[in-house]
Amino acid sequence: MSGVTLSRWTMSYFAVALFCLMGALTLMGLGFGFPAADVSAPQTLLVVHLVGIGWLSLLMCGALFQFVPVLIARPLHSDSLPLTTLVCLVGGLVLLLCGFLHLSGWPGPPAVLPFGGMLLVAGFALALYNLGRTLWAARPLAMPARFVTVGLASLAATALLGFCFTLFFGGLSSSPLLVRITVRGLPLHVVAGLGGWLTFTAMGVSYRLLAMFMLAPEPDGPGTRAALWSGAAALTVIVVGGLVAIALRYEPEWALIAGGLLALGAVVLYGRDILRLYRARKRRVIELNSRMAGVALFHLAAGVMLALVLVGTGTLGRHVAPLVFLAAFGWLTGLGLAKLYKIVAFLTWLECYGPVLGKADTPRVQDLAVEGRAARWFWLYFAATDFAVLMLFAEAAGPVRLGAAAMLIAVGAIAYELLRIRRLADVPLTCRLPQGTSRPHLLVLLVPQA
Amino acid sequence: MTTTFVDVDVRPTLRAGGEPFGEIMAAVNTLPPGHGMRLLATFKPVPLFSVLGSKGFMHEEREIGGGDWEVLFSPREAVSEATAPSVSAADDTDWPAPAREMDNRDLDPPEPMVRILAATEQMQPGEVLSALLCREPMFLLPELAKRGHSWRGGFDEDGSTYRIRILIGGAAESQQ
Repeated sequence: MSGVTLSRWTMSYFAVALFCLMGALTLMGLGFGFPAADVSAPQTLLVVHLVGIGWLSLLMCGALFQFVPVLIARPLHSDSLPLTTLVCLVGGLVLLLCGFLHLSGWPGPPAVLPFGGMLLVAGFALALYNLGRTLWAARPLAMPARFVTVGLASLAATALLGFCFTLFFGGLSSSPLLVRITVRGLPLHVVAGLGGWLTFTAMGVSYRLLAMFMLAPEPDGPGTRAALWSGAAALTVIVVGGLVAIALRYEPEWALIAGGLLALGAVVLYGRDILRLYRARKRRVIELNSRMAGVALFHLAAGVMLALVLVGTGTLGRHVAPLVFLAAFGWLTGLGLAKLYKIVAFLTWLECYGPVLGKADTPRVQDLAVEGRAARWFWLYFAATDFAVLMLFAEAAGPVRLGAAAMLIAVGAIAYELLRIRRLADVPLTCRLPQGTSRPHLLVLLVPQA
Repeated sequence: MTTTFVDVDVRPTLRAGGEPFGEIMAAVNTLPPGHGMRLLATFKPVPLFSVLGSKGFMHEEREIGGGDWEVLFSPREAVSEATAPSVSAADDTDWPAPAREMDNRDLDPPEPMVRILAATEQMQPGEVLSALLCREPMFLLPELAKRGHSWRGGFDEDGSTYRIRILIGGAAESQQ
């Protein structure tokens, strides 16, 4: 029982992630990708991976390096590996994006795509090794950490499937199996990434963070266990079952339908847990991050309902873009931004004032942030996202660009708020830097060890 | 290195409606150095994992049928003195009674940490602070280590309250 220290590189992950999110929204605002281009056009793939890897995956990795140790009450296996991991991931992403540009007609060597895929696989393998060793040492795992473990397994599946695609598109291999996986395996890649890696991990971490910040008992009953097993089974059926079907020259649709039903069960059980958690909280007036996490959770529920309607009406194929957009921006990005707002303030406070707590007058965590000012940007973000989802249904390119531009303004303003938190800009001067403290570095968390 | 395990079977006590915690802790306190404990219980004793973890034991549990559980508690070989000075300390009886007690269970994080650190700054070396929390104070522990205090902590049997006791200047004393 040695406690948990601050993860040195987490802020760097967050900064690069926000940069990628704003880059992707800028591209969308400029009309790059769907709906101006086809949904599977290289331009669309570029934006999708800038969001999926650059924003969401880096955000999640940075958060996990800090919070997996909190979930299991053990230190991270290596506090230096995350930097190498970040370099691999960013390098791999840049090459991958260049590869997509090349596919869309830009000059460049075709092999850049598989090299990007290889670097990304290396980066994610390092993250999985570091987090996997950390989790392995803490068995038996508490419920949130089990969700994270399933999420990490899905990350491995997503990265490997993506790497297969880059081998084909980069012209390095054209084996019949690889061609079949590339042609039929895209839904498996999307479900493993958005559903398994990002959503399932976010669900696990949210159990602990929401309970912690709202003073509520952490769900750990049969319903939570059923959500875990149902979700894990859904992902296994979709990814493993789907791949077996593709290898045996069957359509993977049956695996998607069976897995979808299991996933529906998992999300319903999770939703029931979270509703109970919000109701059972001891803290009646909740902070902005918990309120906005609630709005993001509402978008998750809306996404599930929408998926059911689209499957029921046989229009999922036609409207997959707004559904994915709703999941990526309404749910995952909404939750990510909400939690960032709390996490950055908390980590900065702990880094700066932890060493002098009790020895000098220090501000409270909430003194680092101005919630009233940030709240309106969060509302603008969610309103613009919902508007963009509706316009994507109509495939109205102009209004979608308008929505993306409004989202960019909101995200830029939230990023500026995070910058102010990190710079202690809103802390009263009288207690901003008491003796023994120094202004935190923007991108690296530095805490002297015992 | 193979660990020798001392058997402690609390199933009869539990089936008779008794409370086995004292029996278990007594057995732990009399374990020879380097020995582990093989505990047999009628349920998975999750709260014990933290309590014995704070005393330097790793655990490995398995269900052995009929709803019974076997848990092997083995001594952790390499515990960092710098980060966990309390673990190297002897049993509970060598610490004085708490000079100050706090109930921080209903406070928003990180207020419990703030109050505990403020109290430790006001107390004298050798005094003990006892505090109740609703979670394991993950970020507090490294700060206590940096300030030279020892601590012992763990969840109560129902798993809802974490009780920490802090010996002011304890780490510095143990190194002298």
